[in-house]
Order: sequence, then C-alpha cells, then structure tokens
Amino acid sequence: MSIWLIFLFAAIGTYLIRISGVVLLKDEERIPAPVRRALRMVGPAAMGAIIVNSLFLDHQEWREFGAWHIAAAVAIGVALWRRSQGWSMLAGAVAFAALIAAGL
Amino acid sequence: MKRASVLGIGPAEWQHSWDGLRAISSLMVGSALFGLAFGALVRDAGINPWAGLFGTMTVVAGASQIAIVESVRAGAPAIVSILTAILINARFALYSAALAPLWSAFPLKWRMGLAYLMTDQSAVVALRERDEPDPIRRRWFALGAALPFVLVWVLGTIVGLILGPVIPAAWQVGFIVPLMFIAVLVPGLQRPAELVTIAGAAAVVLLGHTWPFGLNVFVGIIAGMIAGASFEAWQEKRRAGAAATTAQPEPPELPDPAGDVP
Repeated sequence: MSIWLIFLFAAIGTYLIRISGVVLLKDEERIPAPVRRALRMVGPAAMGAIIVNSLFLDHQEWREFGAWHIAAAVAIGVALWRRSQGWSMLAGAVAFAALIAAGL
Repeated sequence: MKRASVLGIGPAEWQHSWDGLRAISSLMVGSALFGLAFGALVRDAGINPWAGLFGTMTVVAGASQIAIVESVRAGAPAIVSILTAILINARFALYSAALAPLWSAFPLKWRMGLAYLMTDQSAVVALRERDEPDPIRRRWFALGAALPFVLVWVLGTIVGLILGPVIPAAWQVGFIVPLMFIAVLVPGLQRPAELVTIAGAAAVVLLGHTWPFGLNVFVGIIAGMIAGASFEAWQEKRRAGAAATTAQPEPPELPDPAGDVP
C-alpha cells in the first residue's frame, strides 16, 4: 500500500476518534471506567515508547552510548527541575550541539 | 463608535479568538520545531515530500506521523503502520469526551471542524473555558487556539521538507524526536502510575528490539497502558481497602496535559 493511503487511513481513523465524543458520544461517563483508565495512559505509553525506541535503538541495533544519551539525560534533568517544556528542549538542544561539536 | 467586522467576523469574536491564541502562544514554537523535525524526517526516510505534507494536513498528530514514517522505513505492512498510528491517537477519544459537554451547543459543522483541529494542547486550552457560560465565546476561543497551532505545525513541516536535504547528516536532526517527547512528557509527570506505564512500555520496546516492522513500539504502547492502568487500579483498591474512612474517588483526569505536538 502506498504511503498516501497509509496516511489517509490513519487520518480517517484519527478523525473518527476525534469526533467520537463531541459528535457521537457526548458524555465522558459513558466510556467504561477501565477503558478510560487505559486511555489516560496512552500519552505516557506512546511517548515513552517512542523516546526509548529512538534513544536506545538505531534500526533495530543498540545505539552506541554518546551524545544522544547524555543530552537526553540533561533534558530530563532540566524538565524535572524546571517543569518546563521550553527549558527542557533548550537545555537538551544546547547540550546535544555542544557534545556533537566536541566530537562525541 | 461601533467597530466593523473583518472577514464577516465581528469584533467580539475576533477578541475571543485572540484570547484563545494568547492562551496557546507559549507552545507555538514547539509546534513549529516539531513540524520541522517531521518534515526533515520524511526527507531522510526517502518518502515523497508531497505525501509527507499530505500526512501532516490530514492526520494532524505528530507522534503518530513519526511512527508511520519509522514503520514504513522498517518495511512494516501497511496495516501495522495504520494501527500503530491509530493506537497512538486513541487518547483523543478522552479529550473528545471531555470536550463534549462544552461543545454540545455548537453547530455540528463547528464541532466537526474543531475536532479536525484537535491537538493535546488545544484541547487542554479549550477545556480551561469549561466555566464560560457563553457558547459563542467558547467556540471562537477554541478556534483561536486550535487553528494557528495547526497552521504553525503545517508551516514547520513545509520548512522541514524543504530544508531536510540540506541539513548536514552530522547534525543528527533525528535527535529532535526523543528531545521533543522528553520536553512534552517529563514536565507533566506526577503520578506513580505514569512511571509504571513508561517502564512497561520501555521494557517491551527494548526486549522486542529485534522484532520486525517496528512492532516493538506498537506492543510496547499496549503493554505500557495495561501496566499503568493495572497499577492504578491496584493502587485505588489498596487505598480504598486500607483507609475506607478517607478514601475519595479521584476526579477524572486527562492524558498528559503537556501532550503531543500537535
């Protein structure tokens, strides 16, 4: 299947999810509690999976320890310290640029 | 003197939209940068840039779009790419349900249009107006937050698609993917159940790193959700059993308030 169709089907599925409440369901309480509980965890699960996959793996192989891991640790540290998206991104980007420039 | 309408939109509606835009403005840079990273990733993966732009304008959800590109690059069957994307975007069901009572008075075409523009950030911003009694104010505020946020995302993608091939490989722009998600995810982490979720997802992603088609991410997300939700259910049961006198149900919560971009 072409990439166009993959995006199209993903878009249709995503749009149906987006209208599920505001057009179809209209009441959060009608979502069963276990499903609601699981949906609350989608964000951390999806983002956690993507972070770990991109940070530690490179095309199914282990990524060699270096700038990616150190800069990510800096970004996580600043995120926990300042509780700020902007500061976390800035610190991670600066650390990564410095490490790359240093040849790591 | 009475102010005239612009583009057929009255001054009060413009003001409501402006308020929405201001409420989301601090997150706009992140949206643009993430769009740029997605555009560059599309070029890096050798995918038709027009298809990448089509994806950005139709799916309008960055994490799932990146998952599609990565799984296509890994040679995954189309159904795996599509299901992974839909799974990642399942969280919108919760936003949609939470917004339903706020938007129930809106005309159908408004609800359908705003749903298309729904992102984690714009949903959270729109929910801040839950005590606003005027539905006209609520809908223009929601539009003022959601539309510019998505426009910036699309523009960022276009810049990334154009600049992608000229960005030196040594810059390793792919690092924006974990960095962006760290910046979105970590500042909002508060509950132990979220840590269990991440640990569960991470363990499966790493243990399954040899699985084909990027299935480790798909299965990892499901495993993380089950682990986190089970842990939370166990925690609540334990709390209720141990201290029946003080146990109170927690108010409904949304997924990570910082959320995906877009």
